[in-house]
Amino acid sequence: MRLADARALLPDLVTVAGEPQADLRLVEAIAAWCDRYTPWVAIDPMGGAVADDIARACSTGGFGGDAGLLLDVTGCTHLFGEGEGESGERALLADLVTRLARRDLSCRAAMADTAGAAWALARFAERQADLFCPARGQRDALAPLPVEGLRLEAPILETFLKLGLRRIGDLYPMPRAPLVRRFGEQPVRRIDQALGRLDEPIEPRRLPPAFRTRLAFAEPIGRSEDVAAATSRLLAALCRQFEQAGVGARLLEIALYRVDGSVDRASIGTSRPNRDNPKLMKLFEEKLGELDPGFGVELMILSAPEVETWSGTQDALPHQDSPTVASGMDGTIDLADRLALRLGPENVVRLLSRDSHLPERVQVAATVATKPAAAGAWRRVASLKGARPTRLLQRPEPVEVTAFVPDDPPSVFRWRRHAHRIVRADGPERIADEWWRPRPDGSRPPAGTLPPVRDYYRVEDDDGGRFWLFRDGPYRLAANGQPTARWFVHGFCA
Amino acid sequence: MPVISPSAFAPPASGAANDRVVPLPASLREKVRRLERSNSVRRRGRAASVPLGIPAIDALLPESGLLTGALHEIEAGPAPSGRVAPHDGAALGFAAHLLGHFGPGTILWCRRPTGTFDAAPYAPALSAWFDPARLLMVTARRDEDLFWAMEEGLRCPGISAVVGETRAADPTAGRRLSLAAEKNGVPALLLRAQPAPPQSVCATRWRIASAPSCSTPGLKDVGAPRWRLELKRNRFGTPSAAETPSWLLEWNDETHCLAVVPEALHGSPGTRFEERLVG
Repeated sequence: MRLADARALLPDLVTVAGEPQADLRLVEAIAAWCDRYTPWVAIDPMGGAVADDIARACSTGGFGGDAGLLLDVTGCTHLFGEGEGESGERALLADLVTRLARRDLSCRAAMADTAGAAWALARFAERQADLFCPARGQRDALAPLPVEGLRLEAPILETFLKLGLRRIGDLYPMPRAPLVRRFGEQPVRRIDQALGRLDEPIEPRRLPPAFRTRLAFAEPIGRSEDVAAATSRLLAALCRQFEQAGVGARLLEIALYRVDGSVDRASIGTSRPNRDNPKLMKLFEEKLGELDPGFGVELMILSAPEVETWSGTQDALPHQDSPTVASGMDGTIDLADRLALRLGPENVVRLLSRDSHLPERVQVAATVATKPAAAGAWRRVASLKGARPTRLLQRPEPVEVTAFVPDDPPSVFRWRRHAHRIVRADGPERIADEWWRPRPDGSRPPAGTLPPVRDYYRVEDDDGGRFWLFRDGPYRLAANGQPTARWFVHGFCA
Repeated sequence: MPVISPSAFAPPASGAANDRVVPLPASLREKVRRLERSNSVRRRGRAASVPLGIPAIDALLPESGLLTGALHEIEAGPAPSGRVAPHDGAALGFAAHLLGHFGPGTILWCRRPTGTFDAAPYAPALSAWFDPARLLMVTARRDEDLFWAMEEGLRCPGISAVVGETRAADPTAGRRLSLAAEKNGVPALLLRAQPAPPQSVCATRWRIASAPSCSTPGLKDVGAPRWRLELKRNRFGTPSAAETPSWLLEWNDETHCLAVVPEALHGSPGTRFEERLVG
């Protein structure tokens, strides 16, 4: 129905603009909040909020109207009631509904062995007691529900209704082969999925971490000291899990579930697998200050999304030449982790050498996590080259030069508004571009052309200052009589 | 505990009663300080000082070498003509020479880059003095972060030396660095591209300017790097005859030694190798 028609029928109709994006954000926030029950939470792909097509979403009840979340609570229910059995499942369901209701969110939650059965029950169960389906009871529970509960496509659904198949139970006695021939394999698959004869995987919203510990508080905590103490307890439990599994953490995430339903997260990374409780706690202490407990924290979950096999206390045999450097056993790695946490991982680097003739490509910055350079790698690179400057400019700076003879080193150069009279010069050292490597823009130099070259000179001015200059290409005159080559300063020598 | 008590720097109390003992406590305090310092350094299994290998300079320094548990400042001085130094390539070379002398281990190098005009230390050249694989380069956006990173590095047992490149002169940070260096026996170097207000607590302050090199006779080539080195401050060392002792040094890249060029022979290439001393 159009809005104009609706207004004609009911002049005092209250209208509100739909906000699909906001609805989606709300559903995502609720999904994040549901992490408190299980790490395996998915936004229901059949729900209205995620339908791409606005018209279709409106026809099926509107955005958010029938949005759904699927929670796989296998192995999580014992946290909410006594024992593994039904009491824990009932307690979880009741807890979920009460907590959502407390936030003025109306919801219907059903618990069943299969996602399909729970989906149908949550939408079409008539009595409150039917929402909880006991183990292996989905066949009887689904029988009285309408066929809409099978998540079928609209044309199939219409045909079913025309044929008088109104209840799911009506389909149970039907022979399967004609059903498939008449309607395709979807109805049979849906029935099998709902009854548990066919597996239906749920794709979690966030990949659940393999290692995870949680701590719920009877009374919400708000002081940062308490948060730190709780983190320390969680970390101790997680490190025991690591030891049993023989792994170490590369990434740890702490999530604070606040009483107002929002979640605050912080994560720390380490450059090599770590399960040393005090060291990890030290890294966390840097981050805990940024976490905001808000009005109080009722639940904390510490998880390790990234773990790696831990190779033991001794990581590598010390090198012969530099006994303590390569192994990192001397606390350097921990120092690098601490520095990287505060300054950013890209700001704490080691220098690796690269086989190249271009001065700016020889030195590569690599994060600490990468393998350190082999001992002596630098010596080999350095012995190949001529004298090099102690400082290299990020980008060469153009200079104005005066030269008596075009091909000679200049007699005077002007750099940053100061003239330097050159009294001594070494050179040229010709360095050609690496034609075998594609250019930064991905193109390759055309075949048959000479690669660009640079002629480097080490020069000394009358004050003793030593510079590393280069001429961009050989000396040549352009059509207008001006020389084409330009001069740059690229580094400062000792 | 090797902690300097603040009263150690206070002027001696001038009371009539202890007039006679005033000269004694000062020297005693110095003695105790030296004992403490070398103790704290030796406890970490490091030498208390590292000789530079240049007898003329080592003779002036305390314990005949550069103290390991101390803050040292290295600044690029103005050129001989008095102009502002265009760059600190020579100061960096001298700092690298010192770093090569401080035992094995990682070298923490903290910098504050200056945008697009930034000129970072270039590892192929530094490899003349030490293996650049030992470097841990840290880039800080603010001076507080830089000083914090330096202090963290001084406390780490695997670090053999900490270098900070900054223009900032923060007396509190300098004092904290000096204390951390003294406590852990790890040297801290402050490298400055321009002379800055001095840190009052540094053990030594050096000023280095590049000096004209000596060409091969008959050619106009660039010779071995020469530096004009001035010892502007020498806190625990022996006073020298000159107010600020100054030397002309030459770095030989082939033999890997730094040696004093005798001033009288300055520039006469025939005899300049005779006084070469191994460094």
